[in-house]
Amino acid sequence: MADLVSNVTAVGMSVEAIKATQIGMKALAAAIAISTTAFAAAWAEMAIGSAAVGATAENKDVFGLVLLLTVIPETIVIFGLVVALLLIFS
Amino acid sequence: MFTPSQMSRLLIVASKDQLTIVIKELYRSHLFHIEDFVVDGREGYDGFSIGMPLTGASEVSSELVKVRSIENFFLIHPGDIEIKEKRHYADLKSTIEHELPTIERELEDLTNKRSKLEVTLKECEQKIAEIIPFMEIPIELEMFRGYKGFTVVAGYISKDVKIPEPVDVFISSGKTKRFIVAIFPNERRIDIEHVLQEANFHAVPIPAETGTPKTRIDIYNDQIAHAKMEIEGINQKLADIKLTHTEFLVACEEILKMDVERTEVPLRFATIDQVFVAEGWVPTDTVTSIKDALNSVTQGKIFVTELEIGKNDPVPVEYNNPSFAQPSQLLMDTYSRPKYTELDPTILISIVFPIFFGIILGDVGYGLLLLGMCLVLRKFVKGEEGQQLLIVLRNASISSIFFGILYSEFLGFPLPWLYVLPSRHLNIGGEGGHGPNIPGLMMMAIWIGIIHITLGRTLAIINHVRQDRGSHRIKTVLANAGWIFVIWGILALIWSMISMPFMPDLTGLPPIVMGLNVSALIGIVALIAGVIFIFSESPLEIVELPTIFSHSLSYSRLVAVGLSSVAIAMVVNYISIGMLIEPQFKQITLVGVIFIVIGVIVFLAGHVLNTLLGIIGGSLHSIRLHYVEFFTKFYKGGGKKYSPFGFKRTFTED
Repeated sequence: MADLVSNVTAVGMSVEAIKATQIGMKALAAAIAISTTAFAAAWAEMAIGSAAVGATAENKDVFGLVLLLTVIPETIVIFGLVVALLLIFS
Repeated sequence: MFTPSQMSRLLIVASKDQLTIVIKELYRSHLFHIEDFVVDGREGYDGFSIGMPLTGASEVSSELVKVRSIENFFLIHPGDIEIKEKRHYADLKSTIEHELPTIERELEDLTNKRSKLEVTLKECEQKIAEIIPFMEIPIELEMFRGYKGFTVVAGYISKDVKIPEPVDVFISSGKTKRFIVAIFPNERRIDIEHVLQEANFHAVPIPAETGTPKTRIDIYNDQIAHAKMEIEGINQKLADIKLTHTEFLVACEEILKMDVERTEVPLRFATIDQVFVAEGWVPTDTVTSIKDALNSVTQGKIFVTELEIGKNDPVPVEYNNPSFAQPSQLLMDTYSRPKYTELDPTILISIVFPIFFGIILGDVGYGLLLLGMCLVLRKFVKGEEGQQLLIVLRNASISSIFFGILYSEFLGFPLPWLYVLPSRHLNIGGEGGHGPNIPGLMMMAIWIGIIHITLGRTLAIINHVRQDRGSHRIKTVLANAGWIFVIWGILALIWSMISMPFMPDLTGLPPIVMGLNVSALIGIVALIAGVIFIFSESPLEIVELPTIFSHSLSYSRLVAVGLSSVAIAMVVNYISIGMLIEPQFKQITLVGVIFIVIGVIVFLAGHVLNTLLGIIGGSLHSIRLHYVEFFTKFYKGGGKKYSPFGFKRTFTED
């Protein structure tokens, strides 16, 4: 341990700094997980949403169904959120 | 319960002179779902053809069209009308003949008069617009016309012009656009027109009027005011007509619609010379009463019998659920009505949907808000579907309050007792505390998923036992059992290797073979057996195996969507109270009061927004878990709705 600390201090970082970096890395990883999946979900919902609006304009009765179809890709961002939460809290 | 109402197929045969009485009775009973007769050379129907409408069908239809056009004109929607007392069919029938044409004539007269007045109004406005430019010229309008040797032109110019003499010119003041009237001898016309053209002359007609412009405008303004007053009077009369006749019109529409349906229904029957045949479906428990009623109205001159139901007969489906589950039928119909032979999962959805909603939006505050909203809206929303939706939401909000107590949450604040379920309190605003128990919440969601999916597969087994025959039945039943084996096999294997919270810890069992303990061995055997069962039914199904993970993990939305709602609530609380309101109490200043007001606004707006998001997120994700993860395991749907001949009368009675 003493060797490790001396090695670390040799490259200019203390143990606290390394711990802080690790927490930062976790936070970054969580951010990447949530942002990329959110983007993917939004992209998927964009296509479904515009089709849904078109379909509703043709026939108002399908509103409930298309609203549901629009949230189907939300699974993607939910998986992202779960990963992010697990990264940060566990 | 769990199955649709039992149906029986009825065949009604009688002579054509009984047709009217039979139709009337079938209509009154409102139970007979007619199977339309199609000339397709079916056995036993040789020589039969589609029946003819009863006499008077076209007259009734045209009267219905009239009533509907009047209703349309007055924007009357029968669904929104409530009446004091029901009208009698016979009374209405006798008055409809002279009353309806009277209303129609009155309406026509008034609207014609109104359109004439509107034309007058437009004309007067047009004339005023023509005269207005001449206002600045102080001569009478007749002076501008009627000359033989002179030409008069009027219009707008955008540049200054100098017109050579001898000409009489009036030019109005103005920077960009000036009005000009020029009177000149006919022989100078070409020169002057050339000069004017250079100044971008734009001609206007000279009004064919007499007197000064001002007096003419006053006269036309008087006419406009008069026309407006008359239009107002006509509108008032129309409103009076609407008020007096609304109830009559909706009642007329109802009886005419009834008559149209009754007179046109023979088009759905099979007829030959003197006999007609009607086939259809009725709930089994009403067969005897229908038979008796038909026999009594025709004095026994009818033959009614029950036919056997064939395997591929399109049996109409009527739900058969206890009253608490009936509103959830709306959620079933949004997906698809169950087939006649299929299990009807309405009861499950009516119980599980509110539970899922509660797990997602488990907050006493939001639950109370939603409950209040539902109770208030139920007083205003008309129509069966709207009411059903509100009852579903009401149940969901009660569940939300219940889970809010278990989570110990009120608008994101902790309640004075400890949470029973894993904590969802985030560390927003640096208040410390326990923080959320993410692994616990995740495990809870996955457990719910596993149980829900296993239930789905179990229902699939029951469905296949009921619907399939022979070796196919054995294969499909085994395949669905195989899916259950695979899920629980994988679980047993995981339990034997990893110790996880909220899951049985079987890592401590003594190893038996190759370092594997009894749980691992059971898991492996179940997994292999399951895969073999699935493969034997359809090899392609093997590629679906990863859905075990994706579908179970999909239930983590119960936690994820809920947590995002908690996060928004806590952020709103932190911004409004922690950042805006609380610091002002140390020393109250004028600016501080403004901050407090802003804080209150943020608090209210934030929580209203979060309630709406919570309703949308909570209900859509709960229902999605049913449609996508649960129904795909066992449910096909596609049943035909049972819609008996006749309808529920609201405005009239016999």
